[in-house]
Amino acid sequence: MRAQGLVLTVFLFSLSLFSVAQSTTTAQTAPPAKPAQSQQSAPTPGRIQTRTRLVAIFSGLENRLFQAVQKKDQAALTPLLDDEFEIWIPNETGDPVPMDDWLAQVTGAYTLKSFHIRQMSARDFGSVVVVKFVYGQQAESKGKDDSGEFFVVDVWEKQGDSWKLSDRYISRFSALQPVHPMRPTGRQ
Amino acid sequence: MKLPVGKLKVLLVFLFVILAVNFLAAQRVRDDAPGQRDAMPTGKGTGDSQHVLPEAKAAHAKTTSNGIFYHGGPVLRSAVVPIYIIWYGNWSNGPMASDSQTTVSLIDSLLGATGGIGGSPYELINSTYTDTTGAVTGGLALQTQVFDSYSQGATLSDATLQTVVASHLAGLGTDPNGVYLVLTSSDVNESSGFCTQYCGFHTHATLNGADIKYAFIGNVDRCPSGCEIQTTSPNGDSGADGMANVIGHETEEAISDPDLNAWFDRRGEENADKCNFKFGPTQTTSSGAKFNQTFGTHHWMIQMNWENASGGGCAQVLGGAFFTQ
Repeated sequence: MRAQGLVLTVFLFSLSLFSVAQSTTTAQTAPPAKPAQSQQSAPTPGRIQTRTRLVAIFSGLENRLFQAVQKKDQAALTPLLDDEFEIWIPNETGDPVPMDDWLAQVTGAYTLKSFHIRQMSARDFGSVVVVKFVYGQQAESKGKDDSGEFFVVDVWEKQGDSWKLSDRYISRFSALQPVHPMRPTGRQ
Repeated sequence: MKLPVGKLKVLLVFLFVILAVNFLAAQRVRDDAPGQRDAMPTGKGTGDSQHVLPEAKAAHAKTTSNGIFYHGGPVLRSAVVPIYIIWYGNWSNGPMASDSQTTVSLIDSLLGATGGIGGSPYELINSTYTDTTGAVTGGLALQTQVFDSYSQGATLSDATLQTVVASHLAGLGTDPNGVYLVLTSSDVNESSGFCTQYCGFHTHATLNGADIKYAFIGNVDRCPSGCEIQTTSPNGDSGADGMANVIGHETEEAISDPDLNAWFDRRGEENADKCNFKFGPTQTTSSGAKFNQTFGTHHWMIQMNWENASGGGCAQVLGGAFFTQ
């Protein structure tokens, strides 16, 4: 009798799990359910912003810059940099990294597998715009994992008709792997 | 009846295998389900981006579409979507010329029941967005408006902005099928990033027992370089003309994605986000201002909207040509 009971219990448990799994699957693949206002009583937190024109402009420039790093494309990278570009990043000496050293680093034993930019703001000071954002990357440097998330402050200077990056300040705030928003979460 | 121990073991193994296969199958279907990889548009998404080296990308099934996807939520389908305005701050004689009744009159004209943006060939682009029961009509009009003289101070947070909306529902009416706009004078800041991150935003919340859709739109004269496309504007009021552009953007999104769960793309961008600061071909007034729309007697410079048809693209009018800039 104990054996029969065990079999029956396992069978029923399996059936229930099977049922749950099927209903979950259906919910993910079925056409959208008929929306009802009454079901929206617990609204998803969040808001949709209209980004400023400057954020649009510098989002494009920052993406071009990181894409050039990703492709190790120095010819695409250097036109975006001021001749006296420096990057300030926590290191052993505390010294800023000059442009040539940085270019050698990112076009050398460094692989930027993926990156994302979020929460960008841009403040206009005439011919200078200060751009701040959160930057996440999955990367390797000299064979070691260099993934994480960083606060970045960039100083862009208008030179003629183009913008040049003159200074970059980076501070790592998370060593965690960047989490890519792959499905609705209610808030980014 | 007694089962032999051997048969019992076989039966248990069989049940376990069924269970395991079932779970694995369920997980696979989840991964492949359409829309499940889309970023949620929650406000910080429009300036966000993500890039992955080709070799690092996961394989995804390609689907043909109009570049924007439905996620199951409702759209606003009223024949004429009611618009409610809360003029916040000083709209009589504020610190800038545009903090004035002239701006109030121009925006009222833009949202007027006749000769306004509602029902125009431009607004009809929004009629390409549907939910499971019908489509957006393209109609919208100002229902009523109130003035609020700094009830929450000269700096609003997201929380006090919501308080402003909630406090005026009694006067304006609690309407879950309308859109409430909070328009602030140039001396009012929204501390979550107005002018540096955004020119406006829309959201929703349960207020007075109803799902209320509302938007913040500040006087863009506060930050011309960030939120205005030109200093000489078609109606001679750079604040009103700049705000008109943001109002067009926010109302289109609040109608096609009122609960942030209807229409957006894989980057989390809603229809108007995909055409932000893209205006298409323009004409020039005698004063030198550019414009691309005419509603009634007024010219306007208003960004294009993403048409959810013919492969998708930024258009100035429903069924018109698509433009990239």
